Amino acid sequence: MPEDLLLQNGCVYDPLNGVDGEIMDICLSDGEISESVSPGAKRIDLKGYVVMPGGVDLHSHIVGSKLGFGRAMCPEDHRDDPVLRTSKTRGGVGHTMPTSYVTGYRYSAMGYTTVIEPALPALKALSAWEELEDVPNLDTGMLPMFCNSMITFHYVREGDIAGLAAYIAWTLRSVGGLGVKAVNPGGNYAWAHGEDIHDLDIAVPHWGITPREITSGLCRAVELLGLPHPLHLHPVNLGRVGNIETTLQHLESLERIKGHNGRSCVAHLTHVSFESYDTVDENSDDWSDLSSGGLRLADYYNTNDHFSVDLGQITFGDATTMTADGPFEYYLYGLTKKKWTHIALDVELPGGAGVVPYVYREDSPGNSIQWAIPLEFALSIKDPWRCALSTDHPNAGPFTKYPLVISWLMSQKQRKKWLARVHPLASERSTLPDIEREWTLQEVAIATRAAPAKILGIQEAKGHLGPGADADIAVYQLEPMKSRIADSPDKLVRAFSRAYLTLQRGVVVSKKGRIRATPHGKVWSVSPSLSEQLWQRINGELEEMMGKWFAHSFHNYPVPERYRSHIEHKVMIDATRLDS
Amino acid sequence: MTAGRLKHVVCPFCGCLCDDIALEIKDGTIVRNENGCAISKSKFLNHTRDRMETPSVRIDGNLVPTTLEEAVKSAARILASAKRPLVYGLSSTENDAHREAYRIAEMLGGVVDNTSSVCHGPTVIGSQESGEIHGSLGEVRNRADFVVYWGANPQYAHPRHMSRFTRAAGLYNETREIVVVDIRRSVSAGAADRFMQIEPGFDLEVLGAMRAILRGHVLDVESVGGLSTSELYELVQRMKAASYGTLFFGLGLSQSRGKHHNVDAAIRLVQDLNRYTRWTMLPMRGHYNVTGANKTSTWQTGYPFAVDYSRSYPRYQPGEYTAIDLLRRDEVDAILNVAADPAAHFPGRLVRELGRIPIINLDPKQNMTSLVAAVNIPTAISGIETDGAASRMDGLPLYLKKCVEPPEGVKPDRDILRMILEEIGRSET
Repeated sequence: MPEDLLLQNGCVYDPLNGVDGEIMDICLSDGEISESVSPGAKRIDLKGYVVMPGGVDLHSHIVGSKLGFGRAMCPEDHRDDPVLRTSKTRGGVGHTMPTSYVTGYRYSAMGYTTVIEPALPALKALSAWEELEDVPNLDTGMLPMFCNSMITFHYVREGDIAGLAAYIAWTLRSVGGLGVKAVNPGGNYAWAHGEDIHDLDIAVPHWGITPREITSGLCRAVELLGLPHPLHLHPVNLGRVGNIETTLQHLESLERIKGHNGRSCVAHLTHVSFESYDTVDENSDDWSDLSSGGLRLADYYNTNDHFSVDLGQITFGDATTMTADGPFEYYLYGLTKKKWTHIALDVELPGGAGVVPYVYREDSPGNSIQWAIPLEFALSIKDPWRCALSTDHPNAGPFTKYPLVISWLMSQKQRKKWLARVHPLASERSTLPDIEREWTLQEVAIATRAAPAKILGIQEAKGHLGPGADADIAVYQLEPMKSRIADSPDKLVRAFSRAYLTLQRGVVVSKKGRIRATPHGKVWSVSPSLSEQLWQRINGELEEMMGKWFAHSFHNYPVPERYRSHIEHKVMIDATRLDS
Repeated sequence: MTAGRLKHVVCPFCGCLCDDIALEIKDGTIVRNENGCAISKSKFLNHTRDRMETPSVRIDGNLVPTTLEEAVKSAARILASAKRPLVYGLSSTENDAHREAYRIAEMLGGVVDNTSSVCHGPTVIGSQESGEIHGSLGEVRNRADFVVYWGANPQYAHPRHMSRFTRAAGLYNETREIVVVDIRRSVSAGAADRFMQIEPGFDLEVLGAMRAILRGHVLDVESVGGLSTSELYELVQRMKAASYGTLFFGLGLSQSRGKHHNVDAAIRLVQDLNRYTRWTMLPMRGHYNVTGANKTSTWQTGYPFAVDYSRSYPRYQPGEYTAIDLLRRDEVDAILNVAADPAAHFPGRLVRELGRIPIINLDPKQNMTSLVAAVNIPTAISGIETDGAASRMDGLPLYLKKCVEPPEGVKPDRDILRMILEEIGRSET
C-alpha cells in the first residue's frame, strides 16, 4: 500500500470539481485522494507548481495487432531513438512506435496515467492482454470493433437491436473491452469484396444494409446496454478531400438517438483532423483544393450536443498511420508509394487494418492545412467538455508531441510562429490566422484529463482530484500566477514534456521526467450482465454463427482469466432488463 | 486432467494451430486424438517418449545427472561469465517463456534470436522493404477463389492446411482454383488443380516477369525460369480475374536464391494485384509459435528477431545478430537454447562449432542439441503439459491448454527461465 502523502501549496486545476487555479493541499491515502492524511504523512511542498489530475488519453494506439505489424515493418523508425535500460527500467526503442515498456515510461514522464487503446480486433484480444502486461505505469482499456462484423450485420439486418446488444455484451465480457468502436462501418467489408464505399447510403454487398444503418444500430445497442462510453466512431470516407459533408451526415444520422439515463452524448467522433476536409471547389476531391472544415464542424458542434470529439492533431515530422480502415490505408499507399501493410481479419470476416509510414511536412500545402483544421476547430468551440486532446498516436504524430499541441492551443504567439513556418496555404484555406483565442490552463486540464475521463465514463475514479478518486496526479513546473504562460511557449512545452512529479495510485512513478517506479496499472473493462434467457440465446446464436464463419472454435474465443484477473478492473453493468 | 475428454484443444505442432482436437485421457495418459493429423496424433500420443529424463551437466566431457537447482546454478554461471551470450530458439514454446528469455538477454547484454532467422527471416526483411498484405485463414476459407502455394508443400509440413482452409467449402467462393508453383512435383502438387514447375533459383525472375505482365509490359522472351511466357500471361490474367486470391509461400521462396528479394517481389506483386481485386498473402510458418516469437519480440524490443542488447538497448541487424552469422564469425561464447534444436538444423560446419561452445539446453525431449549441451534441463511440453499462448500463422492468438500433468519435477520453460534469471541476478549482486 502506498504511503500517505500530503501535497501542499500547489496551484490546483481540477475542473470536474470546479477548482480553477487555487492554491490548496491534496491528501493521498491508500492510493486514493482522501479528505485527510495520518499526522505522520510525508509532505511535499509544491509551491510554484501546477497540480492536475493525471492525464487521460482516450485514443492512442499503444497495443495490438496493427501496432505490432507497424513496429515490425519499420526498423528504420526505431533506430533514431534508443532507450537504455536502467536499474529500474527496461531498455527499448521510442520514436513513433515505442516498445511496450517505453510507452508506459514516456506517458508517465508527461504526467499521463490513463491511456485507452481505441481499436481492438476482438479476435486478437489475447495478444493485446499479453502486451498490456508489459505496459507499466498506466491504467488502460481497449475498445473492440464491431463495425465490419457479419454478426453485427446479421442483427442489424434483422432489426434485432437486443440481439446486437447481447452480442456486444458477450464480446465485451469475453475479451475484456471497455466500449464499442466503429471504424468505417461496412466499408472494410465492402472493400474486401472489391467495392469502395464513401457514402452513408450505399448498401454493403450481400447484406443490403448501409453504413448509416450499421452505425445507428450500434449506437442504439450501446445506449440500450447503458455502456458508460458512447459509440466511438471513425466515420466512412475518412481522409478524403471534401469529407466534412459525410462526417456531418454521419453525425446528423445519430441526432435523434436517445441516450440512456438522459445523457445527451451518444457518440464520440474520433480524430477530427482526418474527417473535416472541406474543398474550395465542391466538385473536386483533389488535394490541391483542400480547405479546412474545422470551422464548419465547430459550428455544428456548437449547436448540437449529442457527440463528443478528440482532435487527432496533426504534428509535423514522422508518423506511422495505422487504422482498421484498411481501404483508407490503401488509398494513402497510392499517395505515398512507400510501403503498405494490410491485415485481414477473420473476426469481422472481411475486416482488415492497414499501416503506412508517413511524414507530415511543413512545406506541404496539404499537410499544413491538415494541421490547421483541428486547431481551428478547438479554438472555435464553446463547450470544452466534449473535446479531448489526441494525436491519434501514432497516426498524426506520436503522443510525445502533446506538449507542442498544448502550446499551439494556449499561445497565439506560438501559432503565429508556426503559421509563418508552414506552407502559406494553411493561412489562406483556414481561419486560424484570425483566431485570437488562447486556451486557458483550465481548458487544457479539461481536454487532457477531465473531459476524456467523463467521455469514457470513468470520471468517478479518473480525471479529478476529489476524495475517492484514484491518486493519479501530475505536477508541472509552471507558475501561472507569476507570468502569462502563453508568452513563453517553449517553457510551456518543456513543462508539459517532463512533469515535475507523476503519481499513479499514490506512488511517485516519475520525477522530472525520470522513471522512479514501474507499478502495473489496471485494465478497465465493462461487464454487462444479461438476463439468463438472453445470455442463453446469444451463446447459442454466436456458437452457430462463429462456427459457420470463423476458422477457429467459438470456445477458444474468450480471453482466459489467467491473462486478465490480476490486472482487470471490471465495471459491472446491469443490463438484465433487456428482453430477449 | 487425469481422465475424461478434452475438446477444442489447440495442437502445438505447426503454424496451423488446429484448435478442434479432441483428446481422450485415461489414468493421466492421452490415449486418443480425434481430428488431428498424423503428426498431431504422434505429438499428443507419444509425448512421454524420448524424454530428457533428468537435468544434467557436462563434467569432464560426460553428461552427469544432477538436480534442477544445480543445473540452474551451472546455467547461470556459464551465462553470467559469457562475453557474448546468445539466447536462441523460442518458436516451440509459449509466449510467457519468450518474455523471460528477453529479460535474460537484456540483463546479460547478449543477443536474442528466434528460429525465424533460419526460416521466414527473409520474409520479415521483405516486409520491411515493402509492407505486408497479410491474409487470414478464415478469410481464405470463406472468400478465396484462387489460391497459390509457392515453394511450399503443405500436405507434408502442414497436413491439414489444405483440408481446413483451402479445400474446405467457403461462403462466397463457389469454385476455387489451387495452383502449386515449385521446383519439383510435390505431394501438394497432386492435391492442387494445377502445378507449375519453375527452375531452381528463378523465383525472383518469374515474380518480376509476372509483375511486369500485370503492369502491361510486353515480354520479349519466350520463357522465364522454365515457364513459357504464354503460361505466365495466362496465370497473371487468372490471378487478376479472381475475386479474392491468396498467395501462400514457404521456405522454397524465402530461403532459396534471392531470399528477401524473392519475398519482396511477391509482396509487390500482391500489392499491385490489389489495384484490380483483393489479394493477400501468408508465409507458411512452420513451428507452431514462431509467429508468436516474432510478435513478443516486436512489442518488447521493437524488432521481430536478431536483437542485440550489448549496448543496453535493443539493436536489430539480420546478418549480424542472427544466430548463424554470429556463430560463423565465432563471436558467441555461450548459448541458452530454448525449445529448438540447432545441432540438428544448423549448417554442418557450425554444428562442429556448437560442440565447442557451452550450450544450456531447455527442451522436453532428447535431441541432437542435448547430446552436445553443457547443461540440459527438461521442460514441460507447452500445450500438452503446461498452458500458454501462441499465434497461428495468420497472427490469430490461441490459448494452449494444459491437458495432462508433466513428468514429476518437470517445469515449464518460463519457470526455469525465471529461476535462471534470479540466479544470474544473485550472482551479479
